[in-house]
Amino acid sequence: MTGGLLKAAALCAALACAAGLTSACGGQVAAPKQGAAKPAAKPQGAAKPEGGGVKSAAPKVTEIKEVDLKTLLGAGSVRERPLLVNFWATWCAPCREEFPDLVEIRGQYGEDRLDFVLVSLDEPSDIGKAVPEFLAEARAASFPSYLLNADDSDAAINLVDPSWSGELPATFLYDRSGALVFKHKGRVKPAELRDALDAALE
Amino acid sequence: MKKLSAIALLLALAFTAACGTEDSDTTYAKAALAIGAAAPDFTLPDADGKQHTMASLKGKSSTLVLFIATQCPYSNAYNARMAKLAEDYRAKGVNVVGINSNSTEPAAEVKQHAADKGLTFTILKDPGNQIADRYDAQVTPEAYLLDSSGKLVYHGRIDNSRTGYLITSTELRDAIEATLAGKPVEKAGAKAFGCSIKRA
Repeated sequence: MTGGLLKAAALCAALACAAGLTSACGGQVAAPKQGAAKPAAKPQGAAKPEGGGVKSAAPKVTEIKEVDLKTLLGAGSVRERPLLVNFWATWCAPCREEFPDLVEIRGQYGEDRLDFVLVSLDEPSDIGKAVPEFLAEARAASFPSYLLNADDSDAAINLVDPSWSGELPATFLYDRSGALVFKHKGRVKPAELRDALDAALE
Repeated sequence: MKKLSAIALLLALAFTAACGTEDSDTTYAKAALAIGAAAPDFTLPDADGKQHTMASLKGKSSTLVLFIATQCPYSNAYNARMAKLAEDYRAKGVNVVGINSNSTEPAAEVKQHAADKGLTFTILKDPGNQIADRYDAQVTPEAYLLDSSGKLVYHGRIDNSRTGYLITSTELRDAIEATLAGKPVEKAGAKAFGCSIKRA
């Protein structure tokens, strides 16, 4: 329970929680609900961005529920920077394979221009080992990283994109107005993603 | 003897199906297959290259089409549950048909995988993922339950728990039960995360 509270506290801090979300963070979240409207302007789930994702870093992965995902995406809310979200899992081969591309893109679009977060669909029991170990190995330790422990995957998938069937990997880009401007299911095509990023950054 | 009569039945059904395909061709829509819509017929080879029509694999009560994979850990987590579904409902007239649409998983691998994992239902290869496209299947595993008239009554996940430790909703089984009881399916769809179908 202490661990859960700690996690919840970390999450609230990471998402710069509005008062409305505090209760949701503090207890069991049964279902996504309204009221957590404040956009995550700059999520900082990764413990120590310094070090640029060197292999030895132990990235922090924060467990989230549907309601937190909704806050994180902040769909429809104005934000400082475009937000790129990649859904992945350690058990997903194309997800693992696209990490070098994701890391390269992160390097090309700085944190001052683009928020880029990772959402893992691994089992909650993988949050302490398999997920952070992979992220460290993939040199992706500096990404804000979350693990979605959804009570209902159907609701979680639909709140991201009703036309998404849930296949991984999947990558979504929101512009500064909070609009979903690009989505790609399956392994990203870096050139295509860069075009979308450039358009969103114009 | 049993095999012979099965082949005879398949041939008879295949013939019937061949007569019916013209109509179903016109129903092939670009959009996702909607609940209540007639599922498109098809002819696909199994792992030995033998051709099967959808109509020939139709169950008396209903037909369960499962898009599956050999290498996807998410689909593999459901192997035992898929085999159990086929076993539990075979005698009740529900026929399970597996379709492997992954361009990365050849027929020989599909055959070996089925043998290794105890998947005794028919598994077809979908070259060029044409049938995955017609069904708009994107993920493995992804289930399509068709009623006795071939209309889609449920589309989506098997249940809510990949690991099987925390199954709190069994949408597919509920849909099969409702169909068998002649009742409408209450929850006609639910999504789950899974592997993308590896299209050619």
